Amino acid sequence: MTTAVTSITPKIAPPPPEPAPAEPNYLNVNYSLWGWLTTVDHKRIGILYLISITVFFLAGGIAAGIVRLNLLSPDGAIINEDAYNRAFTAHGVLMLFFFLIPAVPAVLGNFLIPMMIGAKDLAFPKLNLASWYVFMVGAAFGVYAILNGGIDTGWTLYPPYSSRSSQSNVVPGVFGVFISGFSSIMTGLNIMVTVHKMRAPGMTWGRLPLFVWSLYATSLIQLLGTPVVAITTVLLMVERVAGIGIFDPLIGGDPVLFQHLFWFYSHPAVYIMILPGMGVVSEVLTCFSRKNIFGYQAVAWSSMGIAVVGFMLWAHHMFVAGISYYSALLFSFLSMLVAVPSAIKVFNWTGTLYKGSITFQAPMLFALGFVVLFVIGGLTGLFLATLGTDIHLHDTYFVVAHFHFVMVGGMVLGYMAGIHFWWPKMTGRMYSDWWSRVAAAIIIVGFFLTFVPQFMMGYHGMPRRYPNYPQEFQVYNVMSTAGASILGLGYLLPACYLTLSLFFGKKATGNPWSATGLEWQSPSPPPLFNFDEAHMPVVVCGPYEYSLGIDQMGRGLPEGPGLGTPNDPSDKHGESSAPGPMKKETEVVG
Amino acid sequence: MSANTHSTVLKHHFGDLEQQHASERLGMWMFLATEVLFFGGLFGAYACYRLWYAAEFEYASSFMNLKFASINTVFLVTSSLTMTLAIRCAKLGDKAGLYRNLLLTFALGSAFMVLKGFEYAEDFHEHILPGTSSFGGEIKHDAEAQGLDTGKVRLFLCFYYIMTGIHGVHIIIGLGCILWLVQQTYANKIPPENYSTVEVVSLYWHLVDAIWLFLMPMLYLAGAHIHHVAH
Amino acid sequence: MSDPKTTPAATGEHDVLGHVDSPPTLLIVFVAILVLFAATVGISSSGMFGKYTLFVQLGIGSIQASLVGCYFMHLRHGDRVVILTALASIFWMGILFVLFMSDYMTRHRVIG
Repeated sequence: MTTAVTSITPKIAPPPPEPAPAEPNYLNVNYSLWGWLTTVDHKRIGILYLISITVFFLAGGIAAGIVRLNLLSPDGAIINEDAYNRAFTAHGVLMLFFFLIPAVPAVLGNFLIPMMIGAKDLAFPKLNLASWYVFMVGAAFGVYAILNGGIDTGWTLYPPYSSRSSQSNVVPGVFGVFISGFSSIMTGLNIMVTVHKMRAPGMTWGRLPLFVWSLYATSLIQLLGTPVVAITTVLLMVERVAGIGIFDPLIGGDPVLFQHLFWFYSHPAVYIMILPGMGVVSEVLTCFSRKNIFGYQAVAWSSMGIAVVGFMLWAHHMFVAGISYYSALLFSFLSMLVAVPSAIKVFNWTGTLYKGSITFQAPMLFALGFVVLFVIGGLTGLFLATLGTDIHLHDTYFVVAHFHFVMVGGMVLGYMAGIHFWWPKMTGRMYSDWWSRVAAAIIIVGFFLTFVPQFMMGYHGMPRRYPNYPQEFQVYNVMSTAGASILGLGYLLPACYLTLSLFFGKKATGNPWSATGLEWQSPSPPPLFNFDEAHMPVVVCGPYEYSLGIDQMGRGLPEGPGLGTPNDPSDKHGESSAPGPMKKETEVVG
Repeated sequence: MSANTHSTVLKHHFGDLEQQHASERLGMWMFLATEVLFFGGLFGAYACYRLWYAAEFEYASSFMNLKFASINTVFLVTSSLTMTLAIRCAKLGDKAGLYRNLLLTFALGSAFMVLKGFEYAEDFHEHILPGTSSFGGEIKHDAEAQGLDTGKVRLFLCFYYIMTGIHGVHIIIGLGCILWLVQQTYANKIPPENYSTVEVVSLYWHLVDAIWLFLMPMLYLAGAHIHHVAH
Repeated sequence: MSDPKTTPAATGEHDVLGHVDSPPTLLIVFVAILVLFAATVGISSSGMFGKYTLFVQLGIGSIQASLVGCYFMHLRHGDRVVILTALASIFWMGILFVLFMSDYMTRHRVIG
C-alpha cells in the first residue's frame, strides 16, 4: 500500500495535489518543437530515439515485405533481380544499423539507466543529444542511399564486389553506417561512465538491476567494437573512391581481411542487439513471477562473459570464405564457448519462473516469447558453429531463419517487452491490456509461421539472397510470406493501441506493475530530474526483493498479485479512480 | 576558489566537482579506448600484410623520408610535454603559463602538419604513390630490378597514405580543440577547478602522439636498414 | 589558489585538483622518450637485430607509449577504472591481433 508506505518513510516526494495534470514532469515542462530538439534531458532524447527508430523499423519492414512478396513465386512475383538485391540490402541496413543497434540502448537505456541507478541524468547530457543528431545525419545518408537507387551488396558489403563491381550507392550508404557508428559509441560511452560514476548511494555493483548490467556489457561492445567497423568502412570507402585500397586483390590485398575486420565488429554487434533484450527479460520475468532472480551473479556475469567471449568468435561467418583450417577450428571451438553464458541465462530465467506467481500481461508474454525463440535461435546457432554442418548450411535460409530467431524472436520481442513494461513510466498512460495480449500472441504465431519454414527450406538447400528458386520450395515460401503478413499485422497493433493510449489511456500510477526498481519510485511520467531533488534515492537492498515485498529503497511495494490486497485508487503518484476497461488488469498486478 | 566559481563549473547533474572531473576523465579515456581500437584495426591489417609481404613492405618503407619523420617525432613529443605543462598551469591558476603552453603546443602541432605537407609534396614529386598510373619513378624501377612485386609495394603505399592521413586528421582535430582551449582561457572559463577541460584535451593529444610513436617503426623504420644511393 | 607560483606540494591539499606534476619529472620523461626514439632509429638503420628488428622496435614503442601514458596522461594517479579502461583497450587489440594471426600465419598450410 503506497499510501501507508508514504507515511512510514517521509523521505519520498510529497504527495502531489490530487488533480494530477498540474504535476510538473519531463513531458509538460514545455511543448515546443524547439524545446524537444534542444533538450539535454535523457528521457526526452530517449523519446526522440523512439520516434526515429520506429520510422526506420517501419521502413525496414516495408523492405522486408517487398522481399517476401517477391518470393511468393519461383521467378520473382513483383520486382526484378536487381531491385530484389536492393530491397534485401535496404532491409538489412535499415533494420541492423538504424533499428536493432540503437533500439534498446538508445531508447530504453537512455530513458532508464539514470533512473535505475538513481541519477539525475546521464554523465554527458550534451553528448547524448549530439548522439541523436549524429544518428540522424548517418540515417539521412543511409536513407538517401536507399531511396536514390539503393545498394545491392547486401548489408555485409563484401569487397571486391562492393569496392569495384557494384553500380549502386555504396559510398553514401557506407558513410551513413560510419556516421551512425559514432552515435552508437557516444551512447555506449555515456552509459558506461554513468554506471561507473553516477550511482546513487547504496547502489553497489551487486545491487544493480540486471538491465543495467546487460546494457553495461552492451556498451562495452559498442565502445570497443564500433571503432573497428568505422575504420573498415573508411578503408572500403577509400578503396571505392580512389580505385585502389588494401582489400584490392590486384595488388596483393586480401578481400577476406575485410571480412575479418567487418565481423570483428559485426559479430559482437549481434550481442549489442541481443544483450539488452536479455536485460529487459530479466526485469520483466522477475516482476511478473514475483520472485527474485535465480542466480543474480550468474546472470550479471554471463552478460559480461558474452561481451568478452563474443569478440573472439567472429570468423564463424567465414568458414567457407577461405580462411585457414586451423583458424577455423579455433573459431569453431570459441563459438561453442559463447553458448555457455547464453545457456546460463536461460537456465536462470527458468529457475526464476519456477514456482513463481506468474501473471501473463503483455510484457510477460513478450518476455516468455523471447526465451522460447532465443533458445531455438541459439541452439540452431550451434549447427552453424560446427565446421562440417556449416559447409552445408552456410548462406542458406537456415542461417536466415537462425538469426531472425535471435534478432526478431529475441531482440524485437525483448524490445516489445521493454516498451510494454515501461510504457506507463515513459508516457504516464496505460495501454489496452486485452489488445496488447492479442498483439503478443499474433506476433509470436506470425513469427513461427514466417521463420520455421525457412529452417526447412534452408536445410534443403535454398540459398539466401536468391530471387529465384526451384518449384519445390514454393510451398515454404508461401507459408513464410503468409506468416510475415501476420507478423506485420502484429506489429501494427501496438503502433495503434500505444498511440491511442497517449490520448485515451488511463493515467498510470507511479508503479503500475508493483515493480522494485528505482525507476518506479518516481511518478509516471517522471519529473525533469527524475527524482525529488531534495530526496535523492538511497538504495538499501538488491533489485528483485519481490518475496520480501520491498523496493530498492526498502519500502513496501504498492501491491503484489496474489497477496489479495485490493488496489488503492488513491495511489500517491497519479490518479487511477474510475474503473474502466483497465480495471481488470489492475486487479491482477496492481 | 570561491563557492561562486564552484557553482558555475559544477554541472547540475553531478554531486560534486570530484565526481564531475572523474567522469570527464573516464569518458575521455573510454573514447581513447575506441581510438586505440580504431587504429588497432588498421594496425591489425598492416600486421597481416607485413607478415605475408615482408620484403616488399621493407623495400617500400625505405623510400619514406626518415629525416622529416624524425623531426616530426620531436615536434610531437615536445608538444606533449607542453600540453602536460599546460594542465599544471591550469591547476595552479597560472593563466599566462597556460596561454604560453597551449600556444606552444598548437605551434608544434602545426609545424608537424606543415612538415607532413612537405613530405607529401616530395612523395608526389617522386611518384611514391599507390595508383596504377601515378606509381612510378625510382621506387618502381628499383623494385622491378630487384624482382619484387610492385603490387605489394603499392599496397604498402596505400597503408602509408591511409595511416598518415587518418593520423593527420586526428592532429587537425586536436589543433582545433587546442584553439578552443585558448579561446576558453581568454574568456576566463578555465579556473583551476575546471582544469579537467585542459586535461581531457591533453589526453586526446597524447594518444595521437603515442600512435605516432607506433607509426614510426611501421612506416618509416621498417626499411631503415635498406640504404639507397640516391636517397 | 591566490599565488600561481605555489609549489605542487602546497597545492596538493586541494583534493579537487588532484596531483600536480613537477616539471623536472616531466622533463626527465620527455628526454627519456627522445633518447628511446634515437635508439630505435639507430637500431633500425644498422639492422643489427636482423629479423627481430620489428619486435625490438615495437618493444621500444611500447615503452615510449607507456611513459606517455603513465606520466603525461597521468595513469600513475588514475582511478582503477581508468587504468582498467586503458588495459581493456590493449587487451581487445590483443584479441584482434592474435586471432587475425591465427588465420594469417596458418592460411597457407594445407591439411592432408
